[in-house]
Amino acid sequence: MAATTTPPSTTPPSTTPPTTTSGISSPLGVKSLLVLTVLLLAWLAGFLSRLFAVIRFESIIHEFDPWFNYRATAHMVQNGYYNFLNWFDERAWYPLGRIVGGTVYPGLMVTSGSIHYVLNMLNIPVHIRDICVFLAPIFSGLTAIATYLLTKEVWSSGAGLFAACFIAVVPGYISRSVAGSYDNEGIAIFALMFTYYLWVKSVKTGSLFWSSTASLSYFYMVSAWGGYVYIINLIPLHVFVLLLMGRFSHRLYTAYNTFYILGLICSMQIPFVGFQPIRTSEHMAAADSICRIPTHPYVGTHGRCRLYTAYNTFYILGLICSMQIPFVGFQPIRTSEHMAAAGVFALVNAWAVLKYLQSVMTKAEFTHFFLGASCVAAGGVFLVVVGLTWMGVVAPWSGRFYSLWDTGYAKIHIPIIASVSEHQPTTWFSFFFDLHILVATFPVGLWYCIKNINDERVFIVLFAVSAVYFAGVMVRLMLTLTPVVCVLGGIAFSTLFEVYLKEEESHRPQVGDSSDDDDDSEKNNKYDKAGKLRKMKHEQQSNNDGLGVNIRSMIIVVVLMLLMMFSVHCTWVTSNAYSSPSIVLATYGQDGTRQILDDFREAYYWLSQNTAVDARVMSWWDYGYQIAGMANRTTLVDNNTWNNSHIALVGKAMSSNESAAHTIMTALDVDYVLVIFGGVIGYSGDDINKFLWMVRIAEGEHPKEIKESDYFTDRGEFRVDSQGSATLLNCLMYKLSYFRFGELKLDYRTPPGFDRTRNAVIGNKDFKLTYLEEAYTTEHWLVRVYRVKKPDEFNRPRIPITQRKVKRKNVYLTKKNNKKRRGTIKNKPLIIKGSRPKIVNVK
Amino acid sequence: MLRLLVLSVCVAATVATNTLVLVDTLATRETHSIFLKSLQERGHEVSVKAADDPSLQLSRYGEYLYQNLVILAPGVEEFGGALSVETIVEFVDGGGNVLVAGSRDAADLIRELVTEVGVEMDEEGAAVIDHLHYDANDDGQHTLIAAPSSGLIESDVMVGPSDGTPILYRGTGLITDAENPLVLPVLRAPSTSYCYNPTQAITDYPHATGQNMLLVAALQARNNARVVVSGSLEFFSDAFIMASVQTPQGSFHERSGNGKVVEALSRWVFKEEGVLRVVSIDHHLEGEKHPPAAYTIKQDVEYKIKVERLVAGSWKPFNTTDLQMEFVRIDPFVRVTMIPNSEGVFSVTFKVPDVYGVYQFKVEYNRVGFTRLFNTTQVSVRPFTHLEYERFIECAYPYYASAISMMVGVFFFSLVFLHHKDPAPKSKAE
Repeated sequence: MAATTTPPSTTPPSTTPPTTTSGISSPLGVKSLLVLTVLLLAWLAGFLSRLFAVIRFESIIHEFDPWFNYRATAHMVQNGYYNFLNWFDERAWYPLGRIVGGTVYPGLMVTSGSIHYVLNMLNIPVHIRDICVFLAPIFSGLTAIATYLLTKEVWSSGAGLFAACFIAVVPGYISRSVAGSYDNEGIAIFALMFTYYLWVKSVKTGSLFWSSTASLSYFYMVSAWGGYVYIINLIPLHVFVLLLMGRFSHRLYTAYNTFYILGLICSMQIPFVGFQPIRTSEHMAAADSICRIPTHPYVGTHGRCRLYTAYNTFYILGLICSMQIPFVGFQPIRTSEHMAAAGVFALVNAWAVLKYLQSVMTKAEFTHFFLGASCVAAGGVFLVVVGLTWMGVVAPWSGRFYSLWDTGYAKIHIPIIASVSEHQPTTWFSFFFDLHILVATFPVGLWYCIKNINDERVFIVLFAVSAVYFAGVMVRLMLTLTPVVCVLGGIAFSTLFEVYLKEEESHRPQVGDSSDDDDDSEKNNKYDKAGKLRKMKHEQQSNNDGLGVNIRSMIIVVVLMLLMMFSVHCTWVTSNAYSSPSIVLATYGQDGTRQILDDFREAYYWLSQNTAVDARVMSWWDYGYQIAGMANRTTLVDNNTWNNSHIALVGKAMSSNESAAHTIMTALDVDYVLVIFGGVIGYSGDDINKFLWMVRIAEGEHPKEIKESDYFTDRGEFRVDSQGSATLLNCLMYKLSYFRFGELKLDYRTPPGFDRTRNAVIGNKDFKLTYLEEAYTTEHWLVRVYRVKKPDEFNRPRIPITQRKVKRKNVYLTKKNNKKRRGTIKNKPLIIKGSRPKIVNVK
Repeated sequence: MLRLLVLSVCVAATVATNTLVLVDTLATRETHSIFLKSLQERGHEVSVKAADDPSLQLSRYGEYLYQNLVILAPGVEEFGGALSVETIVEFVDGGGNVLVAGSRDAADLIRELVTEVGVEMDEEGAAVIDHLHYDANDDGQHTLIAAPSSGLIESDVMVGPSDGTPILYRGTGLITDAENPLVLPVLRAPSTSYCYNPTQAITDYPHATGQNMLLVAALQARNNARVVVSGSLEFFSDAFIMASVQTPQGSFHERSGNGKVVEALSRWVFKEEGVLRVVSIDHHLEGEKHPPAAYTIKQDVEYKIKVERLVAGSWKPFNTTDLQMEFVRIDPFVRVTMIPNSEGVFSVTFKVPDVYGVYQFKVEYNRVGFTRLFNTTQVSVRPFTHLEYERFIECAYPYYASAISMMVGVFFFSLVFLHHKDPAPKSKAE
């Protein structure tokens, strides 16, 4: 009912053109077949180029986070969704435990779980691991289609095909979606692009149907990835900019209101997100926008429309209330706050209606008054939000969010965020590495979009500008930049080819132009105010293109060469940089033979086979998920870095000396310690290289015991050789990494104890471990496992020679060399026959 | 012949406790006959051997042949056979009990052995001297100490009930680290005593003086192995046990306290006394029988532990009022004293704290003279599942009301909206 009703003012132009074009263009079937084929091929190409890792190694889950996702998915498939939601994982974060259902974005697990379910329903028995491995490549095809749809809405079908092909193979996206990289981003980029497509669609049509689907898609995004915050801030920004540009329409109002409210409801259904949308500042931009829209004078001008939208808003609000009831029992205070927020929202709407009534009564002179009033209202809302934040009712921005604006923030305040390699600033090199030619062409597309601006292109422009900024701040956010770069690159190439391929059909330049760009220009007409002017320019341009055939073909060949090089680069990067599972390392010998270093799995397998089922393994948090996933042992900290102080405790244990570390480890019931040591094979991502982060994180929580400066030499160097600081050379991490390493001579050119990663001979070679003992070291020494001795292994209070009060002249040394030898007794009475031995006796 | 003997010892190992007594002269068998006889009477399979016997061994094929080792050989400089300080230390770490007697002239081996269990003997030749607490039979050097029984450790389990008779002692003083919790001062030297070579003039300050000096020390290792070290071999001898005591202060005792103390101490060191064990543990929700896979926060949990004590060779229910249970997640969240019943079952009911995590039921009972009672059981405490929360909350009723009124309003509004016909726009459309 709601979906079929369309706003009255725009109904005639929006419905007629598509029908006429479909009627006129006879090769529509061929065209759609072409589109379909290209998309299918893009899907296929994207899927296949992500299989390098599977072909070279095996069908295996990669890296760190995917191991948890896989473990969680397997748990869900085995025990059902509700058990998964209520899953209390006692194997993680010992002894705190982790409520998995409440701390995870379940979209990924639910997606692969439902695929598994459907396939099993169809009697296709597939192991859940294979689904997990191949999920991201499959979704890359869906991303390509979503990108195509978005680009088609923004520009043209041709540009869409370009964009789809780009996104299918661009390394910036492949880096997170190769087979086996079973991570949230794999499906989230699809959800992101699809939500944007639906949003653009709903802005264009103003239909409730599209905006509802947009919020459903947003809901999926929320369930899949924390990056949903980007959507919920970009869309209000879009609305706000349109408002400033005077492009506000009731279509927007419908679209946004529906989107916001539905999206809000849906996102709250994810337990992990919970009441964050109304409690945290990140989301306040969205709330702010929705408060402002109703106050806009435009609302007053469309009578039925207003009623209609008001109805919808109310209807959906009713829905909110009904949907919230099961959650009311959750946490009363928060719920109350939530209800209050909803109440305020309703109040603002009611106020807007009141203003509308006033405006109806007193004509258009009140427009200025309303502008002022809405400014006051906006300011008021802003102040209230600030006030609430200050009072602590609304949680302030999270550290990760702060570090987006102030890049030095995390390094100073939250070392754990700064320590994650994904959170480092991006280098220029990686822009080119990940995007290749697109990084150069996307400004062209951006320029086209700005030049021919309309509602949805405003969106793309905002998307591009913000994504470029974020990608510059964090390597990881390259992922959100990649799609928009593909879209704009697609637009750039499409316009280029439009210009240079069109002259071939010189006899009908205008017809060709109109037919090629038909949908686009017509559609532009109906919602774009600047459309007409642009059309004129475009025609002029195409008429003035007095380029010869040679130049055209040359340019086309050059551009095609570029595209070819792009695809070659993409394949090369995918094959070389992004297809390593990182738990299996490969090295190439001088003769080109490949050597597989399978030390990680060797160690995890050893743990799973040789330790008690409930043994607790301490390692740096990077390896937590892998230990849980592969060795199935309890870990203290893992990649879900939710508890900084617990991580700091582990960091403190690693950076203290052995006896201090032993007290911490005993308090935490640690049975084994696992360290990664790359000194033998020259693996640079080992624990010694990460060690300063452990120190920094530990210092953040225990500034009295751990000081970063103690680990540097006087000249401020971090070195492991004999020049290194004494604190470093005696800390637990150093000892565990280099235990017995001083005896190891790697080759004839280097002295024993030569660390290949740091190119130094270690400084502390001969030491023994008191409180730990070596349990296992893998083939290439990559993983070293130590057993922590329990207190009852220090059975007796032996008095060491240094602490003895009675100094003896002669040190006791046994002279015994044979087990059958007779002992000696001081003053042994000799038995002389015929006489009794003299017995020393008391009187 | 010897093999046969060993074999018979092996067979006997299954029925009785085997005790190896090492002596430096076989005459000790006579001089310490009361002590050895009391061991035999209590069911020990006692084998007395010379300390330099080349066939000595404590273990065979990884199994210990003896449970207890008595070293009445202060003069041994090198054990015979497979015995050495290391093997004895291993024996202790493997759970064996050792009684060591030293003397003024104890050899370095004995001194080395006792430092391994946290006790030091004073220098060679040094003897405990006390000019106020000596026995009338003393030879004038005041080294035959009549230690007052107030120096005995306050533990009936270890030294029996105190009856005020002094204890005779002649030998060297023992030094221990007072901060060491495992070493127990069984018999402290009188406050007026000191330890020095009685034939030499005192030039240095003595290593051990007064109450800081021990005459008999005991160790209960973390694996409950027990070691008793005495600085005096004669402390265990028949002569001292049977002797009468006449102190310079004039009090006369028919018999010294040695007999009683040696008897009690040997019972203790050979784990005939003061041994506790956990028989069974049971924890479940109140009103249920079996433990759940995981507890939920705020549930009422019942914890039961059955403890027994070894009394005269058989296990009897243990009874005490100070046994506590802790519910620990790094720190104890709950610490309650358990209530015993007549069968030695201690039970307690408590509420699981409102904090989820992995907890341990921890019972730790350390009392002087008793073996360490330590037991942990790990359980998970999970938060509420989505169905376990309160369904309706009182303070949220206004919001329920607002939500319901909103829904009703929407319903009526939609009715009105759908069936209301506005005449004005119609005319416009026309």
